[in-house]
Amino acid sequence: MLTDFSIITQLTISGALMGLVYTLIAYGFQLTYATSKSINFGQGELVMLSAFFSLSLIDRGLPFAVVVLGGLLFGTLMGLVVERTAVRLALEQKNEGWILLTVIFGLLGFSVAENIYGRDDRPFPTPISSDAISVFNISITPLEISIALGVLTIMGIIELFKRRTLLGKAFAAVSADRDAAELMGISATRIIMLSYGLSGMVAAMAGMLVAPITTVGPTMAAALILKAFAVAVVAGLNSGMGIILTGLFLGALESLASFYIGSGWREAPGLILLILALALRPNGIFGHAVARKV
Amino acid sequence: MEFLATRLRVKFSMFKRLLFIRGAELLVLTLLAAMPVLVNSTYALGLLTLLAIYAILLIGLDVSVGYLGQVNLGHAAFLALGAYAAGLGVSLLELNLLSALTGSLLVGLIVGALLAIPALRLEGPQFALATLSFSALTVITLNELEAWTSGAQGLSINRPHLFGWSLDASAFYWLCLILLAAVWLIMRNLLTSNWGRAFEALRDSPIASDAMGIGVYHYKIAAFAIGAALGSLAGGLYAFNFLYLQPQSFTYELMVILLLGVVLGGRKSLWGALLGATLIVLLPNLLSNRLVFQIVSATGLLFSIVTINRHDARNKPFQTFSPIAAMALLLAGSVLAQNIEDWRKAIFALLLFAVVLGLPDGLIGFITRFLSQLFRIAPPVLATPSPLDDVLKTKLAHGETLLEIRNLKCYFGGIKAVDDISFNIHNGHIHGLIGPNGSGKSTAINVISGLYRPTAGTLLLHGKALPHGSLYQVARTGIARTFQNLQLFGELSALENVMLALKDTYRCPLPLLLLGFGRADERRAQADAQALLALVGLTDYARTTAKNIPYGAQRFLEIARALARKPDLLILDEPAAGLAQPDVQRLIAIIKQIHQRGITIILIEHHMDVVSELCDLVTVLDGGKIIAQGTPEEVKRNPQVIEAYLGAAVDTH
Repeated sequence: MLTDFSIITQLTISGALMGLVYTLIAYGFQLTYATSKSINFGQGELVMLSAFFSLSLIDRGLPFAVVVLGGLLFGTLMGLVVERTAVRLALEQKNEGWILLTVIFGLLGFSVAENIYGRDDRPFPTPISSDAISVFNISITPLEISIALGVLTIMGIIELFKRRTLLGKAFAAVSADRDAAELMGISATRIIMLSYGLSGMVAAMAGMLVAPITTVGPTMAAALILKAFAVAVVAGLNSGMGIILTGLFLGALESLASFYIGSGWREAPGLILLILALALRPNGIFGHAVARKV
Repeated sequence: MEFLATRLRVKFSMFKRLLFIRGAELLVLTLLAAMPVLVNSTYALGLLTLLAIYAILLIGLDVSVGYLGQVNLGHAAFLALGAYAAGLGVSLLELNLLSALTGSLLVGLIVGALLAIPALRLEGPQFALATLSFSALTVITLNELEAWTSGAQGLSINRPHLFGWSLDASAFYWLCLILLAAVWLIMRNLLTSNWGRAFEALRDSPIASDAMGIGVYHYKIAAFAIGAALGSLAGGLYAFNFLYLQPQSFTYELMVILLLGVVLGGRKSLWGALLGATLIVLLPNLLSNRLVFQIVSATGLLFSIVTINRHDARNKPFQTFSPIAAMALLLAGSVLAQNIEDWRKAIFALLLFAVVLGLPDGLIGFITRFLSQLFRIAPPVLATPSPLDDVLKTKLAHGETLLEIRNLKCYFGGIKAVDDISFNIHNGHIHGLIGPNGSGKSTAINVISGLYRPTAGTLLLHGKALPHGSLYQVARTGIARTFQNLQLFGELSALENVMLALKDTYRCPLPLLLLGFGRADERRAQADAQALLALVGLTDYARTTAKNIPYGAQRFLEIARALARKPDLLILDEPAAGLAQPDVQRLIAIIKQIHQRGITIILIEHHMDVVSELCDLVTVLDGGKIIAQGTPEEVKRNPQVIEAYLGAAVDTH
């Protein structure tokens, strides 16, 4: 009985820590959804490409701090490229063409990665140790802790930026009411660019955090992104920090499901939750409904 | 004499048009059917079979992508479900060919309807996400239910007999072709009927669809389920074509290829789906031969450059040049890449990108425009208007109470938008509802028409309680409304906007409609709608898409569309807002005509001259409460009303 309990606790904790990565990617969706009601369906490829990019920086023997900064910069740039090529025109025309265009952009990114870096998975060397430490019979690795810290740090920094700086306030203004913000002299286009840049940066961070565990390959983010979608939708695309709880919960749930039902079913809980959430609470558990106006 | 000549010319142009369209269909079908006899090649036969299967699949996908206008990422899953249903039906239940295919169709129909129920409330990204998750979930399930599907190892199937015959390759091809022809006819009948218009209307304005008595929910379920059913019917054929199934075949990549087929072929078009299917079938050959691929890319580049001038002047430079850039990149890649097949996904991406931005109507849009100019095929001739008296029967009105509003309240959190109002609307009256901005007028009619649910209160129409909080149900009781912020079906023509809303016109039951017996309804609908367009003076705009007609005309179109509901009570929400003075005069004339037909009207309006000229009674709201009621003259003199309008005399703006 005791062993059972400790297995469950172990699975829950390591799953939940992994779930924070989903939270981080979902946070990237929230950033762009807030400003433009759009999300990048190719975000998974952005995560993967950024991981590849930072891996190639490591291959050149650059120090780890430079690698991290380089990766973040690359992600930001990619986010801006997505905004320019796939999103901006559709938003200007007020149609939903951006869904298909971001899907297309993701496919292009996938193809580029598989041809330039190859189809094989490669390890991502990291200075952080993956030797387990045991706390109250639960083993946990510094690597897993680094994920949690990394996720919370970058989210904290962006939230501070949004609340404390003038640009951040402009971000909030566009999120609240785009037209009113524009009348106050804020360029919504620039703020949407900013949100895509930040979203790309967050995706790159997620890629670098998760790479030491999943290894780096073209398909590394395929499953990851579905679960990030699930977190974003289950919590609500405008739910704020509800995504942290949801990410922890989903991570724990899938780790338990894969242990007790079979590893093939690992992705299933997220997908089922996503469909259920869309059916029952389209605005998410923590989200708020927007009244219809005519 | 001259009249007869015109009639003949009209008849001839209709005939020519019909001849071209039906002739092309018959020609292509005959050619396809003759192929196995003409070309003696197993390989070609395999491609042709696949063409027929993919055409059915894409016609299904086009219902959600083209007509509903939603990005559907789940269609590959329905192909998989249909394929596995057929395969398992044969191996486990020993079904014959026709029952197995029927089984596939039903599985798609049922699962599609079930998935549509959660997907119902969803738009855009949420819909795409729901379908994406569904398709991932399907692949996982097929992989994991190893006891039945043999998981990743794959499932081998035998092709069962059809009425005791064992089908060889060409007989199976003909079966696929017959099914394609049947699907083609049925879907043509469905999509050119009011159903097709309703599918498109859902995309443009769900709110107006509900308010026009077109139930968003069941049309959306129907559209999605029909598309899914065609997808899984294609799946059944797919299974009996390849005789071997693996869950991995139904991946995201296939989904993108299918979308490429629909978009490149052309949305909202059966021909587009056929063209798209042809492209999908030829893609592998295209990619395996470098020279062919280079020629195709070069042609694509040339095509994108040549068509540049045809583009709208309103286009942004990005929209004009990015397709060319994508095609140039494709050509460069075709020269530089070591192995073209390895870059498959990038090629799909670039092609799709160029098509989405540069050729939104797809190849078929381009070809249709080209051919109809070449052969001078005129657009279809519209029916002559019905007599207005047949469409809008004049009702007798004796001023008895039509709508009774008792103690109506509608609160949003702490805001009392409508705070305990009671008044009656008399049959045959034009009842004005006025008040300063934020006084609760719009909220009041949004509650009456069912958009908002009242916090408390009673609404009685003809003495019977009105349904609460459902635009659709209220619309069916005989109340029609227009919207202050226009809610037209922007992609439909003015005529179609009105046809869609017509009540009691479409009598043909669905099964007969699918078999092509809906044409009489369609002609009558066109004639009735023309009569209503004539009433509001929009005959000249009948064919113009609603989003492209001038603002004032759009307001009148909303009125014509609401009249198509043949309402007892018509609610006009600020119909004169933003109208120029001559249009205001036209509006007054139109409202008078409607009034003469005995239709009761609630008029919300800020133009006091309009209100004074038209209204029998006026109710004045302020702060969610009634502050005055009476004839326009009485109300204008009421000190409370004058005070509510900022202390000044009511302006006659």
